[in-house]
Amino acid sequence: MIPDSTAASVLQSGLVPQGTRVQVFSEIYWVFLGLGTLVGAVVIGYMLYNAYKYSYQGGVDEEERPKLGEVPTGGGKGKKLFLSLGLSAIIVISLIAWTYGTLLFVEGQTGEQGVDVQVEGYQFGWNFYYLDDGGDDYTGVNTTNELRVPVDTQINLQVTSDDVFHNFGIPQLKVKTDAIPGETTETWFEASDTGNYTAHCYELCGQGHSYMDAEVIVMEEDEFQDWYDSQNASTNNESAANVAAAGV
Amino acid sequence: MARTKLYTGIYVALFVIATMQVAVEQIGLLESSYMLALGLITVFSLVKAVVVAGYFQHLVWEPRSVTYVMLLGFVGFLALTVAASYSIL
Amino acid sequence: MTDDNQPRTDGGTATALPGDSHDDDHLPPRWSLKRWLVTTNHKDVGLLYLATAMFFLVFGGVLALLIRAQMWSPRAPGTGVLSAMAYNQAVSLHGLIMVFWFISPFATGFANYIVPLQIGAEDLAFPRLNALSYWLYLASGILVFASFFQGSSFAGGWTLYAPLNIPAFMPSIGATTTVFAIVVFCASITVGGVNFLTTIHRMRAPGLTMRSLPLFTWSWLLTAWMMLLAFAALLAAVMILLSDRMLGTTYFAATTAGGSVLWTHLFWFFGHPEVYIVFFPALGAMAEIFQTFSGNRIVGRKWFIVSMVLVALQSFIVWMHHMFLTSINLEVKTLFMATTIGISLPFDLMVFALIYTLIKGRIRWDTPMLYAFGALVLFIVGGITGVFLGAVVLDYEFRGTYWVVAHFHYVMVSGVTGLIAGLFYWFPKMTGKTYDEFLGKLSFAVYFTGFNLLYFPLFLAWGTPRRVFAYRPEYVGWHRLASVGAVILGIAFLLIIYNLAKSIVAGDDAAANPWPYSTTAEWAVASPPPIENFPGKPSYVSGSLEFLDDDATAAAAADGGTAATDGGHAALESGHGDDVHVDHASYWPVTIGLFTLVTALGLSGLQVGSYPSGLEGLFYQGASVLGVVGLLGSITAMGYENFTAHEGGLGEAWPFEGVENTKMGMWVFLASDVVLFGAFIGAAIFLRVAYGWTQWHPIPHNPIPGLVNTYLLLTSSFTVILALVAAQKRSRKGVVASLTLTFLLGLGFLANKAIEWVVLFSEGTGLDSSVRASTYYLTTGLHMGHVIAGLLVTAYLIWRAWNGAYTDGNDETLEYFGLYWHFVDIVWLFLFPLFYIV
Ligand code: HEM
Ligand SMILES: [Cu+2]
Ligand SMILES: [Cu+2]
Repeated sequence: MIPDSTAASVLQSGLVPQGTRVQVFSEIYWVFLGLGTLVGAVVIGYMLYNAYKYSYQGGVDEEERPKLGEVPTGGGKGKKLFLSLGLSAIIVISLIAWTYGTLLFVEGQTGEQGVDVQVEGYQFGWNFYYLDDGGDDYTGVNTTNELRVPVDTQINLQVTSDDVFHNFGIPQLKVKTDAIPGETTETWFEASDTGNYTAHCYELCGQGHSYMDAEVIVMEEDEFQDWYDSQNASTNNESAANVAAAGV
Repeated sequence: MARTKLYTGIYVALFVIATMQVAVEQIGLLESSYMLALGLITVFSLVKAVVVAGYFQHLVWEPRSVTYVMLLGFVGFLALTVAASYSIL
Repeated sequence: MTDDNQPRTDGGTATALPGDSHDDDHLPPRWSLKRWLVTTNHKDVGLLYLATAMFFLVFGGVLALLIRAQMWSPRAPGTGVLSAMAYNQAVSLHGLIMVFWFISPFATGFANYIVPLQIGAEDLAFPRLNALSYWLYLASGILVFASFFQGSSFAGGWTLYAPLNIPAFMPSIGATTTVFAIVVFCASITVGGVNFLTTIHRMRAPGLTMRSLPLFTWSWLLTAWMMLLAFAALLAAVMILLSDRMLGTTYFAATTAGGSVLWTHLFWFFGHPEVYIVFFPALGAMAEIFQTFSGNRIVGRKWFIVSMVLVALQSFIVWMHHMFLTSINLEVKTLFMATTIGISLPFDLMVFALIYTLIKGRIRWDTPMLYAFGALVLFIVGGITGVFLGAVVLDYEFRGTYWVVAHFHYVMVSGVTGLIAGLFYWFPKMTGKTYDEFLGKLSFAVYFTGFNLLYFPLFLAWGTPRRVFAYRPEYVGWHRLASVGAVILGIAFLLIIYNLAKSIVAGDDAAANPWPYSTTAEWAVASPPPIENFPGKPSYVSGSLEFLDDDATAAAAADGGTAATDGGHAALESGHGDDVHVDHASYWPVTIGLFTLVTALGLSGLQVGSYPSGLEGLFYQGASVLGVVGLLGSITAMGYENFTAHEGGLGEAWPFEGVENTKMGMWVFLASDVVLFGAFIGAAIFLRVAYGWTQWHPIPHNPIPGLVNTYLLLTSSFTVILALVAAQKRSRKGVVASLTLTFLLGLGFLANKAIEWVVLFSEGTGLDSSVRASTYYLTTGLHMGHVIAGLLVTAYLIWRAWNGAYTDGNDETLEYFGLYWHFVDIVWLFLFPLFYIV
């Protein structure tokens, strides 16, 4: 839709928020919030001002007022209308256009580097299957309701569901995507700090929906590697049939 | 209103087009050139539908607004089908 | 209320006459229950709608309070006032009831009461169908109520996402009943939509062109158009869902490629227009109230109308902004981001138009104006937060959180606020009583406080996922504030109800026109208006409203006053209902509603092709049979009943001049049927694309039987034409013969189809064999249902023709039936290649 070259040059111009999803979200969110509050305050303030100013107070009336039974017509020509419309259109359209650059950045980021994990929702929990470098094959390492990832690394998620429609999201890391049976959605995130985070399910999926959480543990790179290797070793001891049975 | 002749002619034409539609499949065009066959079959259906709506349902003799109402529904169908199908391509 | 201390003159002769209710004797008196069962008068039906909607407001409100009680604290598993499943039912049914059974019917109540008055019509085009849409609405509401007592009601959210909505994951009979209730509700909306569209387009007073239509009527006209098309898509979605639940097709099953995404498309294709369907009537009411209470005509009226039309059209091309997190591609996301921004712009214009209308006004802050003004403030907050959601990168994070909850409550409940403004505004007109102004203002103060206490904190607690009751402890404060706000808002509603109930009993009598500066025709007649509405034939030809006496109307007849019927017998009607008898009562709408209820209750017992065992199963089977028989009987009886309604086309009828009311109604209905079939066909195409288009082959092995059926249907269309030609030649034999031929050809079609299915079944291809099989059976099955309905009508027509009908110059019925039958033919022309050839 948009030629790649144009997209690339816009992305490089520095105007477009880029970085981890936490960074781009907060940058855009605060701009929206600032402008939104401003516009809201101006418009509502202006309403209140007129409401006060033109309140009925008796006295003589010079205007020609509507009469019962007249054919409905309009007052005013609407010049001011189009002025205000134009202004608001400029604000809204430029805001959205600006975030569109970030959308391109976010969408372009999927699957290029980093750790690939397949996420599978089920009633009521999450399975994580670690994939090889290309993000194509299951390595045999998997966890349930606990996602361990290295810090400062892009984590690419391929999200699907084993039963009903779920939605996988980690609010503090500003990542979220639908988990749809029979389909795979892709997204990514990158954590800048080690620590524990919580992933939730964001789509009503049945009785246990409220508690369909998973722990996300962000570790130092080498710690993660140690953990991963130990997992890998234990799975390699299991028979190949088990790997196939995981169904990935 | 003796449009009986007109109606009869249209009826025969519809019969023929329906036959041609199946003929497209019978001569194996679907196997040899799928898109062409699909296109032909769709066009045949559209032609038949337009003729039935225009003459049997008298749309050609009604105010144009009635046709627009039907087109509105049809465009809604197209929007839903095309955009939804495209979204998963 | 306001006392206008300035003398003012009325335009023209538009003075209120005391209600002369000589026609009331067609109807039982108001205090009799019977009147409310049989009435078809638009004002009575409007009151029924309003009262019933208020009941559902309370019902949905109680569920909301339960939700807020559960949200008082983050709940550990097994604690809290509700169990997990009870909570899921509460959130689901709260949403469904508020959106379907409260807001829209509430608006429909006003539309029923006010729109005919505003356009100068004595009633709607099809009064019995109007009553029918009310009874269907009530039946659907009772079904919702009943669903709680059938195991469990629906518990998958008001968006009914797949595949949680299929029996594998939600097996209760009550869930099926809820879905069935939506089906019946869609039927009610379709019947109502057809009626209002015909009425507003064709029954306007002379001189009342589209451009000069009052804004409330304009907003309702567009609402009705959106309803007609959007609810047809929803009807398709819930019918497919019902089929998955009751018959065992596998559209939405978890294993189906694209099944879940299909649901989101079908639902949101309806769902986005729906948000304007609930808001537009409020917008129209707000426009009227802003004008009346500021004493100004709206600024940029033409652009206001253009904006509404644009929004109504655009509302059908933004639905995927609810699906930004699904697997749809980037191009489509971009497109729908753009259309979403596009649709916010006309809204900006309308908001500014309302604001500028205040300037140089003499604004009176009576209760209606307070609510209308408040509604606009709330709408602005909701709109701004909607722009956040339109930015896809932000939506990625907001989706599924309380941000969305807060946003749509600000916009939707702003709509409710606007309608409450309308309730106070039109209350004196509808009841003839004056409400208590002090209590009214007090209720607004409580309402506005409660509203913002309830919904604003939800923005601040937006990190909470939707529809959960275990949330991060840091949000407790905001959620508690919201719960407190909910109670306050509830109190405000009680205050409103108390005020109005008290005033109906003991309020002062209201003047015909209690508001200075009101302009529209409802204020030019008594409060409440007499049954025939106007003291003469309303006309705007002179430039302002006048009530002409009857002789003058004959000259104004633009359309040659042909026969007007409501599906029953033709009877000639012209001019005003003084010398001509007009009916206001029929038993059949309520009877049909009752049997619809019984049928739906009975069929809800059907789970994946079988009824429960034992006594329970017997009950469900009995109810199904009783319901269907009763339905067929009462529909036939209604068709046969002699019922005279007002004719349209006597004044303004653009753009349907010369398209008689019933014919226009039929066409409008067919347009909705196009969307219904379109959504079925679209679903099949979508699933096939998801599966891989060329990997799918037709279920029937060979197209020839299908071709034979094409020949049969084409021929039957031709014989219907011949019947009409025979009727025009006044040949009774010709009519009977042609119709009989049609009937036999239709039977042949069905027989051929039956053989095809039996063979397929015997080969083991059932409804649940594959998605491919499901789409084939269900889509051609829907078509077959249309054929069967057509044949039932044909049988009726044959019987009537045999007895001499249609050859007496009144052959419209044949023509209108032909429209339907040819339509069924056309649908087949598309189904045949899709399911038999390609
Ligand atoms: C400036 C105008 C508006 C914009 C840009 C806008 C945008 C959006 C978007 C993008 C969503 C999807 C959020 C998500 O689920 O991720 C949404 C949700 C919603 N909007 Fe709006 N909206 C606007 C006005 C309205 C109006 C006027 C109404 C109703 C009167 C409304 C009712 C809703 C509802 C009910 C939902 C939530 C549906 C659900 O998930 O249950 N919106 N809006
Ligand atoms: Cu969930
Ligand atoms: Cu929407």
